[in-house]
Amino acid sequence: MTSPGTGSGTDVAAGPDAGRARASGASRSQLRSVALPSLLANWALLGVLFAFGALYATGGSSARDLLISDLLINLVLVIGFHIFIGNTGVLSFGHLGIASVAAYTMALLAVPSDRKLVLIPKAPWGIPEIELSPLVASLIGVGVGVVVAVLLGLVAARTSGLAATMITLAFLAIVRQVAENRKDLTGGAQNLSSVPRLEGWSWPVFGALLAITIAVFFRSSKIGRLAVATREDELAAGAMGIEVFTPRLIAFVVGGGVVALGGILRVQSLGSIGPSQFSFEFTILILAMLVVGGMRTVTGAIIGTVFITVGKEITRFLGDGPDFLGFTWPKVDGLPDLFLAGSLLAVLLTRPTGLLGEFDLGRWISTRVRTSASAPAVVAGPDDHAPVVPVPRAPQATRDELVTNGLGVVFGGFTAVDNVSITVAPGRIHGLIGPNGAGKTTFVNLLTGQVEPTAGSVHIGDRLLSGAPYKRARDGVARTFQNLRVFPSLSVRENVAVADLIAHDHRSHRTGVSVDELLTLSGLSHMADRVASTLDYGNQRRLEIARAAALRPDFLLLDEPTSGMSSSESLEMVDHVRRVATAIGAGVLVIDHDLGFITNICEHITVLDQGTVLAEGTAEEVQRDQRVIDAYLGSGHA
Amino acid sequence: MTEFVQNLIDGLGNGSTYALLAVGVSMLFGVMHLVNFAHGELLTIGAYVIYGMRSNDISWWATIPVAILSAVMLSVLIELVAFRRVRTASAFTLLLTSFAIEILSHAAWRIGVSSTPRRFEAPNIAFKVVEVGPFNIEIWDVVSIAVAVACFVATAVMLRTTMFGLSIRAASEDFDAARLMGVKANRVISGAFAFAGLLAGIAGAIWLVRRGQADPRMGAEPLLKAVIAAIIGGLGSLPGAVVGGLSLGIAEVYFRSWLPSDLQGLTDSFVFVVIAILFVVRPQGLFNVASAERV
Repeated sequence: MTSPGTGSGTDVAAGPDAGRARASGASRSQLRSVALPSLLANWALLGVLFAFGALYATGGSSARDLLISDLLINLVLVIGFHIFIGNTGVLSFGHLGIASVAAYTMALLAVPSDRKLVLIPKAPWGIPEIELSPLVASLIGVGVGVVVAVLLGLVAARTSGLAATMITLAFLAIVRQVAENRKDLTGGAQNLSSVPRLEGWSWPVFGALLAITIAVFFRSSKIGRLAVATREDELAAGAMGIEVFTPRLIAFVVGGGVVALGGILRVQSLGSIGPSQFSFEFTILILAMLVVGGMRTVTGAIIGTVFITVGKEITRFLGDGPDFLGFTWPKVDGLPDLFLAGSLLAVLLTRPTGLLGEFDLGRWISTRVRTSASAPAVVAGPDDHAPVVPVPRAPQATRDELVTNGLGVVFGGFTAVDNVSITVAPGRIHGLIGPNGAGKTTFVNLLTGQVEPTAGSVHIGDRLLSGAPYKRARDGVARTFQNLRVFPSLSVRENVAVADLIAHDHRSHRTGVSVDELLTLSGLSHMADRVASTLDYGNQRRLEIARAAALRPDFLLLDEPTSGMSSSESLEMVDHVRRVATAIGAGVLVIDHDLGFITNICEHITVLDQGTVLAEGTAEEVQRDQRVIDAYLGSGHA
Repeated sequence: MTEFVQNLIDGLGNGSTYALLAVGVSMLFGVMHLVNFAHGELLTIGAYVIYGMRSNDISWWATIPVAILSAVMLSVLIELVAFRRVRTASAFTLLLTSFAIEILSHAAWRIGVSSTPRRFEAPNIAFKVVEVGPFNIEIWDVVSIAVAVACFVATAVMLRTTMFGLSIRAASEDFDAARLMGVKANRVISGAFAFAGLLAGIAGAIWLVRRGQADPRMGAEPLLKAVIAAIIGGLGSLPGAVVGGLSLGIAEVYFRSWLPSDLQGLTDSFVFVVIAILFVVRPQGLFNVASAERV
């Protein structure tokens, strides 16, 4: 909980430079503390499993040698899939198409010239004359694979989940058809043989270690963490200033590069290449390995690969009709496929996140070590000491107002919000209240860009807020959601830290409060390593506010922060919102339908009814307003 | 001109099979946002039922209803055992589940029957050709088109006039709202699977009478065509699926007669590229279903 470089001091006022230095130091040390154990642990896991494999292979035929190198190469492919699918949550069928292109490139460059003059004499670009060393050809192959991944990624990452899946599926089919039909180049359905063979296990082992390394570092890199946030909740990620396209594209390309490496190793292991080698069926095998083990971690990818490989080996053995356990088994065709589909289906139906779920060996070990080391300190108690932390007002709170000018939106023929102009003063808490259906949430959505307005504009000072939600978040509005949108499977700390990453890049002109301080302030520091979805309702609410605060916004927009809370919890929330707002020096716009809560917390109140501003003023003024009383209690009341 | 009309008839004959499958795929997408790649396995079970009954000399008149019924039952069974458990899961899990079922089915037929195809003799009517003026018309093409049209009309009437049809339409618009209005989720989804299974069973019967063969992986290719057709027409839109299926059938025939022979192998690739472009240019237009998430 106290990683080096992050003090829990209260020197918020120490100036912008101190704040920036601390923030970057914290994220860097955190990066080290996650990546290194994970890397070592997963290497060790592979080492142990490889030792078992080698032991198995020494006792048997050369088919067993091939099995081990197959396993290692499949692991490279699985990890390549993991880098994209596991981190972005988007299903891709196209990566083996990338592998196929890379493998063909390698094969065409490395097959001996005299063989090519026989097999594909009419190949263009003087290919029959070229003869490169396998290593050079492989490097070029990976390069071509990466280029193809960029092009495909530009298309796939731009579309939403299902469309991306269909496009990648189409790409896989296209690559295969082209390979079958460009007979002059690929030899068609007849395999292109004489690809230089790999000797021994050293290259597959190297490939697997490299793939693990890339995956671990990608996961703990900034881009990797942003990609994971978009996987967890695309909408919430956008509201935290995270753009979806770039992290997704980079994950696609990095995964594509690793898969290209795997494809190249595969053809060199087989010694030949054909159009059906990177088929849809093979894609399903790789996906099954990924999904069964747990697509979200490298440990899951390793376990899944081994599980499926061992299972297929056993079922193949049984299906061959062996003499085993005293009697002769019947010969059964298709048993390995039955095992593959059966285990994939069983996992999907009972544990959709895979056997291991979020489990990563390295993370697990480091968390265990960390909590046992700091155990006595944690007992000190939960949240009652939180208010004691003196949080001075941030020195350079914004002096600009948040202004909406005639903001409105029409859905079909229904005017949900009409000509709403409000001004939220800097550093103040402003309430927006109205009965159900008054257009409060729609108004927030208009402000933050989740809904595009049909009229009006939003400014902070003289800055116009426009465009996608992530741009507006970077421009200074951070929001929470009425129906709770924490990143469910990330830890409490990571939820806040991801927003801090964005703040570091785009809000660095504002002093922030460090991640640890925000967690302490929110009473969450003793559960910082817990998975966010396991928190109770009130803590998830506080976490969502802490995450928004970590963005160092000029204005915090809280959509019904007390929805579903008892009145005593609501009162605590009042204090909490005040503390957080003061700590980060932000203005706050609180939306609620609870008049009591709003009048308790807000200096200034706007009342919304049927999409228009009904009244405005201080709490007393609004409470006395006859129209407000009518709207709330019905016009029959005096 | 003669060739044009001839191709049109051929294309409509193939396309009506695609369209029948595509309507089922689109309907399931409408009610549960699932692109069901296991849907093609309904053709496979029909084929093995036909093979089993015909090799015991049971008449075609008895065979075909049983084959269709088997497709309906398998469709409902798949929903009950598998999709019901992942109904609320991500599109990712749904899609992968459907692929897992597809492969499971392939393996099951390989183990249960054999990897080698099982043949059955087609009835005489399947390849009978009548000359009408300048055209050679295959009787079975006419039967296919007539049956398909009857199915589309019946589907349209069912959707407009029955309570079940209303539930399906409501569930496709907004599942949660439909549930609030008293639509029973299990019943409507089960019903949609049964109905999609019925259409697949009929499509299968039409196709199989001429194919004369059952093999484990036979369902994959026509299903892929149906998915493409459903995508062209806008997933979730049933009229779109009909249009998509018929135009795909016609396009294939014309591609085959017009494309130079060395490009013929790439027919599917051309279709895929067009679809990929469509996806990028009009992602919402293709998915006719509101995908805006509630904030």
